[in-house]
Order: sequence, then C-alpha cells, then structure tokens
Amino acid sequence: MLRIQNVLLNPGLNCGFDHNFLPGGMTVVLGRNQAGKTNLCRLIAGLSTQAAGELSLNNTPLNKLSPQKRSVAVVFQAFVNYPNWSVQQNIASPMVAAGRDKAYIQGRVVGLAEKLGLGELLQRMPNELSGGQQQRLAIARALAKEAQVLLLDEPLVNLDYKLREALALELRSLLDDSDTTVIYTTTDPKDAFTLGDDLLLLDGGGKLQAGAPLSVYQKPNTFAAANLMSDPCINTFAWSTLTDQAFAQQCQAASDVSQLGGVRPEHLFFVDKSEFNATECVGFDLQVSALETSGDETFVHGLVQASNHGLVDQPAWVVRSPGMLNFSQGQELLVAARKRDILAFGGQ
Amino acid sequence: MANIILDEVGFAYPGAFEPTLLPLSVEIKDGEAFALLGASGAGKTTLLNLLSGLLVPTTGRILFDGVDVSALSGSQRNLAQVFQFPVLYESLTIADNLAFPLRARKAVNGFSAADIASRVAKIAGELEIENLLKRKPKTLSLFQKQLVAIGRALMRPDVSVVLLDEPLTAVEPRTKWQLRQSLKRLQEELGVTMIYVTHDQTEALTFADRVAVMAAGKILQTASPQEVYEHPAHEFVGFFIGSPGMNFVAIDPAAPAPMYAASGVDQSAQRIGFRPEWARLENPSEQRMSSAAHWPGKVQYCQILGTQDGAPVGVTIIASAVGELKVRGPINAIVGDEIVVVVDRFVSFCEEQYIATHYAPRGSDDVLENSANSAGDE
Amino acid sequence: MAINKPYNNRAWLGVLPVLLIVAFSAVIPLMTVVNYSIQDILDFNSRFYVGLDWYRETLQDPRFIDAFGRQVLFSLSVLAIEIPLGILVARGLPKSGAWTSVLLILLAVPLLIPWNVVGTIWQIYARSDIGLLGVGLNELGLAFNYTSNPTHAWLTLIAMDVWHWTSLVALLSFAGLTSVPPAYYQAAELDGASKWQVFRYVEMPRLGGVLVIAVLLRLMDSFMIYTEPFVLTGGGPGNATTFLSQYLATMAVGQFDLGPAAAFSVIYFLFILLFCWIFYNSVMLDNTVGDNEARYHD
Repeated sequence: MLRIQNVLLNPGLNCGFDHNFLPGGMTVVLGRNQAGKTNLCRLIAGLSTQAAGELSLNNTPLNKLSPQKRSVAVVFQAFVNYPNWSVQQNIASPMVAAGRDKAYIQGRVVGLAEKLGLGELLQRMPNELSGGQQQRLAIARALAKEAQVLLLDEPLVNLDYKLREALALELRSLLDDSDTTVIYTTTDPKDAFTLGDDLLLLDGGGKLQAGAPLSVYQKPNTFAAANLMSDPCINTFAWSTLTDQAFAQQCQAASDVSQLGGVRPEHLFFVDKSEFNATECVGFDLQVSALETSGDETFVHGLVQASNHGLVDQPAWVVRSPGMLNFSQGQELLVAARKRDILAFGGQ
Repeated sequence: MANIILDEVGFAYPGAFEPTLLPLSVEIKDGEAFALLGASGAGKTTLLNLLSGLLVPTTGRILFDGVDVSALSGSQRNLAQVFQFPVLYESLTIADNLAFPLRARKAVNGFSAADIASRVAKIAGELEIENLLKRKPKTLSLFQKQLVAIGRALMRPDVSVVLLDEPLTAVEPRTKWQLRQSLKRLQEELGVTMIYVTHDQTEALTFADRVAVMAAGKILQTASPQEVYEHPAHEFVGFFIGSPGMNFVAIDPAAPAPMYAASGVDQSAQRIGFRPEWARLENPSEQRMSSAAHWPGKVQYCQILGTQDGAPVGVTIIASAVGELKVRGPINAIVGDEIVVVVDRFVSFCEEQYIATHYAPRGSDDVLENSANSAGDE
Repeated sequence: MAINKPYNNRAWLGVLPVLLIVAFSAVIPLMTVVNYSIQDILDFNSRFYVGLDWYRETLQDPRFIDAFGRQVLFSLSVLAIEIPLGILVARGLPKSGAWTSVLLILLAVPLLIPWNVVGTIWQIYARSDIGLLGVGLNELGLAFNYTSNPTHAWLTLIAMDVWHWTSLVALLSFAGLTSVPPAYYQAAELDGASKWQVFRYVEMPRLGGVLVIAVLLRLMDSFMIYTEPFVLTGGGPGNATTFLSQYLATMAVGQFDLGPAAAFSVIYFLFILLFCWIFYNSVMLDNTVGDNEARYHD
C-alpha cells in the first residue's frame, strides 16, 4: 500500500496531510489548476519538486530512493515519448533498462501494443502518430515498467473531447484487472466517477476530502469540496431565506457555523406551483436571465432571491435540466430540489 | 457584419497526396453565430485559415457580401480573429491594446481620438473590464487576457466577421462558463457574425444558431443545434454529438423485425441509430410485450455520473446480439444482470451516411472511409 | 515555479579541481597585480609601499584620460552601428527553409576568425597601395590612407569591428525573433498594423531581453579590444587609435613600469567587472513575455 504522511504540497502551508492510497485500485485526485496535483505526482515519483512529505510503499520508506529505484511509472500531460525510437523500442525501453531477456521483452511489447491498439504501428516513430496514439504509447511504456504504482497526470487533457471520452473508458477496463495502485489526476469531476474507486480532493495544496466518489458527491464536507464535483459551480443560498424554517434549522444544526446551504445544478428541476410537494422538496423563485441548450440538456441561468445573501460572490444560479426547454428571458419560475439533495456544509 | 458564402471551396497542400478539404459549400448569414464542430484533423483549422486569408483555396471561391475575396489578405477582408491563447501587445496598456485596431486604421476610417475612447469604454463596459484598462497584460489572469483579446476583435464596428479558434482552450473549466456567456451575449447585442471553431460539442451547441459538423475534410451537416441533435444527417454526426454518442444497429433487410416498423422506421433503412437518452432498461420478467423495439442483453459496465433522487444515474453498457449498446438514465442494474433495452425512437441512415468503422480508439483515429458525397448544405 | 533540487554536499568535490585551477591561473596573478599597484618597484629587491599614489597618478595622467576618452568613443560608435544593423539583418533572414541554415552559417563565419587574423585581413584590405578597399577608394578620388590620416584610421577600425561583430547581434536577435508565435503576426496584420508598428509592438518586446545581452556583451568586449587595433594601426597614426588596452600594454611591457601599470590594470579590471555585474543582473531579471503560450500547443 502506498502511504503518504505530512505532505506539504505548497511550501506556504502550515500542516501537511496524510493519505493511504487504495492498494490495487484506482484513486482519482481531483482539484483545480494549481491545486498541487502535479506536485503530488512529482513527489511520489521522486522528481524534484517543492512538495515535501514522507512516503512509504508496503512499509518501505521511499524518500531516499531515486526515481529509478522506485517502483513508480508516470504518464505525463504532454505526450512524452523518446522521439528517436520507434514505437516498439519505446515500449521496450523500461524492460531493457531493467535488464530483462529478449524473448520476454518481445512478448510483452506485442501484448501491450495489442491491448492499446498500437499493434500495427510498432515500426512507426512517435512524431508520425496522432495525439491519441502518442498518449497511448506513453501509457504502454508506463505499463511496461510493471511498477507497483502508476501515476497519470491529467493524461487526456490535451486530447479532443470525443477521444477523451473513449480513452477514459478504455483506461478503466485496461487498468481494472491489474493490481497496480493507479493514481489519476484531473480537473474534471466526470473522470472521478468514471475512473475512481477512491477519490482524493485537493485544494490549494491541502486535502479537502477523500472517499468513494459517490459518497463524496452526496456528502461533501465543505463548500469547496462540493464545488469541485459540480460543473458548473454549486448554487448557494442562505438558510434564513427558506420558507421551510424547520428544515433549515435541522440542516444548520447538522453543519457547523455555515450559514449557507447548497444545491447542485443537476438536482434542481422545474415544477408547477400546483404540483409542488412541500414536504419532500424545497422551492426557490428563479428569474431566468439566460438559456443555453446543448443537445440533451438545457442550462438555465437565473437570479434567485435566496442567493442574494452577500456572503459568497455568486449570485447567479445555473439549473441543469434534461431535455430542451424553452423559457424567455425574465420569466419567473419555481425551481425545486428534493430535501435529500440539499447540501449543508461544515465550515466555509 | 457580412454574409459569407463558400462556393465549392476545396484545399490541398501543394504536393500533398490527398486534399485536406473536399469541395464544400456553406452559407453563413449576416449576424449569425455559427459553429464549426469537428475532431482534430477534420479540416476545421484549414477552413478557418481559408476564411482568414492565411491560405488561398485550391478550388472554389469565398464571397463576403457577394464580393469574391479569395485572393485578398485577412486585413483586406476586414475581419478579426481570437486565438487559442490570448494574443496581446505586451508593451501596451489594456486600453491601448483595445484601441489599437482603430488607431491603426485611423487614416482609413477617420476615427477621432474621442470616438476611439468612447468605443473602448463601450466594449470594456460590455465585457466588464473597465477596471483593467490602465493595467498591462502581464498583470492579468489568463481569463482576463482572453476577454481583452475578444474585446479587441470586436472593436471595429464594421468588422465583417469574427473568427474564434477554440478560444476557451486555455481557460480554466470553471471560468469557461462565464466566458461563453459573455461571448454569446456580446454576439447577440452587437449583431456580429461570429464563426466559432471547436471540438467541444457543448461549446458549439450552446453558442451557435447553426452548427456545421465536419469530418475528414467534409461538412456533414449544417443545421440548428436542435436539428443536429435530434435528426443527424450522418452517422458521424449522431456519434459525435451527445455524450455518449448514438448507438447504431444494423437491420437485416431480408427479415426486418416488425418492431422497427411500428416505430416508424423506413422500410428500406439498413441501419438505425438511437441516442442513449432515448432508451430505457427493463427487467426481462417485467417486460411488457409492447410494440417498441427491444433487445435483450447482459450488463457489462455501469458508469455513474451523478445522482437523481438519491439514486445513481449514468451510462449502462450492455452487450447484446446486435452489438454493444449504451443506455443513459437511472442505473438500476448491476454488472452481469440480464436486461432488456427498450427504444421507441430512431433515426435511420442509408448507405451514404455510414461510418465505415465505429469511432474506435484502436488503430487509427480516422473515422470516415467510404462516405460518398453527403449532405453538406442547410 | 521554483524547483528545489535535493541538497548534496558531494557536489563541492566536483568543483574543487576548477577552483584550484582558477586560483592558480587567475586569483593569484590578480592578487599579485594588486600587490604591485600599491608599491613602487625599482627592481626586484627595492620596493617601497606607496599606498594609492599610483592610482591617483594614473587617474590624473592626461594620456590615460585621452585613451579612456577614445575608448568610450569607440565603444559607443560601434554599438550605435552594430545593434540596429544586427536587428535589421536578423529581420531580413527567412525564418525557416533551406536558406536559413546557409545564411546562418555565413553569418557565423566572421565570428570564427582569430582576432589577429581579422586585424591582418583589414590591415591589408585597407592599404592604399595593394588593398582592395584602399586602392578602390583612392581610384574613386578619395585620398584614403589609414596610416597617415587619423579619421581614416578610425573609420577603418570601426568598419572592421562592425564586420567582425554584427553577426553576433544578428544571431542573437534572430533567436529572439523566431520565438514569436505566428499568431502574433497574424493578429497584428488583421488589426491593420503597419510594418513599423509590427516591429515596435510585436517584435521589440520580445527582443528586449536579447538586446540587453547583446549590448552588454558588445560593450564589455569592445572595451577590452586589443588585438585588432594593434594589428591594424598599431595605435597610430601617433596616438589617434591608442585605446586603453594598448596604452596599458605599452606601459607594462614596453616601459616595464610595473607600479602604475598594475594600478591601471586594476582600474581597467574594475570597469569590466562593473559591466559584468550589470550584465548578470539583467540576465537574471524575470521575463514574463511568452508565458501565454507556455502550456498550449496548436
């Protein structure tokens, strides 16, 4: 098991955090840009970084080991391959460095190339490959190292949207059946669901929350943690503005000092006043300011009275609704969310 | 503000084996928000460069308001462009950056200093960057710099068209929403013809009045976002738009199942497609023998994307007799379950509209192999 | 993003040999010179401590002041020509293609010639009896003779230095110019910018850092110039082209006046050191132009 302790990803921080990575499983590290994800990867890989901390793999401390001696393989954001070696030589390189025998290397190279769809491209050079193929080559090379830990630092971010979708699922099936500890960093919450058995949220160099993706999604500890898993941002409101004050009191009691509640854009839906169920739902009055349709979803932007609390600088709400809706600007609507979907945060 | 017509425009690099763009025709109306959507290598950058005057078409002509501009340079066409990263004059203040296009052409358009100042103030106001006017680019964030770049592109009131080359690439995901909104609002208010090139379907569908979907050097369909989503004219369009894209099923012409006919599918159709959102899962034991089309299969994988009513929703991938099917909606099965996929809505495709092989990440990233001339006009 | 490399004391062992060599070949002789500069040396056995007398004398020596004046004039003249000319040449070079490599190599040739050979080339080239330039100018009616006319000697020297060193400025500027992404040129063209505006607003900001290096390098080097003028004019006619280095050499080696020569050396050394320090600080300055494109590729 890979363990990190007292990790300080930014030198300016006071206390570090600990985390035990799920052995043999995939951990997704989710955070915004500059949150410290790359620093974390470099720390685990042993590359020079301003992050500091203690690492141990299966109870062997890693700190003193050079990157070559650690059983860690890395796939970077930029497609990093040896430009003057063919695909075959690239995939073989970690095994050649480890001194394996030729037959073994040959077998593994062919196997990995097949698995990653590079079977017919073994003699090509990296600069003849497309972006997606180059990244797959980098992944094949990382897998060839047969390391105990595989780090992928936002590997798909430079690829096209559709290619990203396809490769993410591919990666999942590829890495599922091995007992390598996989750490995958990303800024996209969708990846957390697709690829993660476990989730680690980072913000400003610190650990926000960790756990199974679904439970972090349903029970975020803080506003920042909730925001990370929602695209667009969470909609916030002040507890004092709810009509159902009993419910509001309940939620406030559960959380710490927070005066804000939140609801995810995808959990809001439009209802008729007559159909509104006050026992199960909480309602808000929304005045539509803009509408964006995207195939099967509509994003309704609007202003909600309850959100005008001056505590957080995000007055405009976004509702993510399936189907193609048609509202006019300025239209007043009732938007509701089920009580179980209302989020109460501990601390700001 | 100009009406743009591409008349059988094709392009091939000198000495290239195959043309990058096959002759295509499209009309972009004055004041329209138009999106060019396609994967890398589809030819959209080439098309953009043809529009901006960087390249000269090998065949065909480009007309701005009826005038043939194929041989004219970009500045002669009076257009503006926003790039993937903010392109600003580093040594000038933001106000000077914005004023630059007007000052540079002062001799031509006779703008007085007062006119220029008021236009700068107006555009800065629209973009809400008035407080940045006195600063230098290097003190701004990437998002702010891109806003300024967009502002600079909109400075000339008589600009023929604004070309945007994946302008949100450099911007952080969270601020993409704001930038998109600002852009759309500006486009509507100023009535500027904008052509937005991207590979992200959300950006294209939310921004544009009409979308042109490109692949392998051809425009496959040009229509409103809703049309492109509901009635794709080509399998690639159905696949590329939607997350995930359409499922495709081949019909045996010798024995078309009656269930298709009931859904209104054309008798001569050989392949049909349906979106994962149009399908639902039902238990084999509960399955009402409705006339809706259905396929039994086994659940292979459940991709959770969130929750609705506390229950997980997402994409379920099922292996069935007709291939791998994806269904999007509530996830009420687990891996290994026997399940039935029920669909009551289809789009049919004839031979000219096939993708030869599914867009598979295996092997080459090329998709279209045997598509003949396909619909490319509105 | 600053990166902290792991701290390893053993690296000092690698530097030790270099330190020893530098100590032996540079530091010890330097200290010796400083030592001489505060003594009056009549011969090896009779030395008297005179404090800063030599320094005072040197700084008030009219010939020193003259040489210094000439040196400054020379350095500024060559800078004034080489920098703009170098930029002009760099802008004229094609950014890519077959010709680029050929032209770059041609440009580099003057930089590779040993300096005394440069002096000799020009010495013969400008001779009014057998030199191509000298005879040519005389044929045109100009009574050109660099051995007797101080102005002609100056012009020849400056021409020689420009021929020798403009390529350095050109190559440095070329490197700076090729770092400008094409999108900037395209944007400026779409904005309707004139060629001058493109140069001023797109290219100059990028060239800024490179130019600082070019100016300081040339300033330092031209201040130290010795071989070429010595070979070309020998300092003449008369004193017309005697620069600082030559005057120092005459004093130290010719007249064997070690004390004042040493003081002179130290003063000279301190000037160069000053330029070096300015150079070092400019190069270490943070340059944020070009941050935009760092992460993204087209």
